[in-house]
Amino acid sequence: MTDAELLARAALGDERAVGTVYDRFGQMMYAVAYRIVRQPGDAEEVVAEAFAQAWRDAGRFEAGRGSVAAWLTVMSRSRALDFVRARARRERITGTAQRSDPERTLGMSAPAVGPDAAVEAKERERRVAEALADLSPPQRTAIELAFFEGLSHSEIAERLNEPLGTVKTRVRLGMLKLRESLKPYFYERFA
Amino acid sequence: MSGAEFGTPQDLAAAYALGALDDAEAKAFEALLARDAELAREVAEYREVAALLALAQPAAAPTSALRARVLAAAPQRQASVIPLRKPGPIWMPWALAASLLLAAWMGAARGRLGLRLEQAYAELAQRNTLLAQRDTLLESRERTLSALLAPGVELYQLTATGDPAPGVQLFWDRKRNTAIIHSFGVKALAADRAYQLWFIQDGKPVPSITFRPEADGRAQVEAIAVPSGAAVTAAAVTEEPLGGSPQPTSAIYLVAKLSGA
Repeated sequence: MTDAELLARAALGDERAVGTVYDRFGQMMYAVAYRIVRQPGDAEEVVAEAFAQAWRDAGRFEAGRGSVAAWLTVMSRSRALDFVRARARRERITGTAQRSDPERTLGMSAPAVGPDAAVEAKERERRVAEALADLSPPQRTAIELAFFEGLSHSEIAERLNEPLGTVKTRVRLGMLKLRESLKPYFYERFA
Repeated sequence: MSGAEFGTPQDLAAAYALGALDDAEAKAFEALLARDAELAREVAEYREVAALLALAQPAAAPTSALRARVLAAAPQRQASVIPLRKPGPIWMPWALAASLLLAAWMGAARGRLGLRLEQAYAELAQRNTLLAQRDTLLESRERTLSALLAPGVELYQLTATGDPAPGVQLFWDRKRNTAIIHSFGVKALAADRAYQLWFIQDGKPVPSITFRPEADGRAQVEAIAVPSGAAVTAAAVTEEPLGGSPQPTSAIYLVAKLSGA
């Protein structure tokens, strides 16, 4: 069964499909959320919200325009960025701030996928790490600021105190390089 | 759209997929995206890249409670049509009992919904199969109809004694030199016997296809090659062994002269 079919079934309340979608993509969604919100409990909150949104919006998913993996990842990212912005507003009001180190705060359970899928996932992880390492540090930084902190080109330029054009070029060339090196590892191919 | 550094929309596809365009840029880009399939493909690929970025993060994993929470949340959406929306005063004396009853009811409802969903899927699969079979049949009939209605197709009745039944209708497409036959009311055969069609050319029978009728005496065979070369003057049907014969081994059962040949 394709990911799109699974998504449709899950949206109808088929519990087995919900479980399978979670097992395939929950870890990835959590990783994005965790990288952005930097709190395990908050990341879980975000992922739960993202899945709830996914069931609601499943009818809008267009299979030809991207993979379910990308669609869910973007959803998790958006919910996480919303969460961080709301938290920042609360902290400004209450004068409190929480701190957590994502490098040290690790979760407690492995994703519930079969051995083949786990091997494939590990290989993907390794290749993504290598591809990112191949970027120049400024390219990597610009891309990470855009994706994980939700900054626009101009906000990145302001944050790094770099010219806007330089930032745009870094994002574009960095993503181009990633696209070429990661194409074999895409969740879906596009003709 | 700002950004004179970029000449084409493709230059902004990566930034759009990453979410690095500001609202005005993103809106302008989406207008282009809606009518440019190639641009949409570029964006889809960059979204794949963005999705993969998640994998480069430290090996953080959610607790097993998240899976249970996600599983519990999805079916609740199905049950949400029940009239539970008005929250009452939560400290009323019967609130706890009501909650327990409700929880039990929802558990049962979820079970019923799951069962009904499975039944619905099974029914859907069955209907899809039926639909596919009907589509195939319909396509086949359309092809036959097109063949029968093609210009230059002639109809002949092969009969036993001139009576309408039993008989075989032979539709001869002279242009393609092919034929379709349709039998009706022909008698049933022993398991090791079949009817064989013959074309009479130069006064000699030329063997053609064999067929066995259904219980109602009907059979249909398409795309039968008609002998080329010398004129074909008649068509006949005899009863033969199952695999057919090079020469007729029984008396003619049905026959028609092919006029204008």
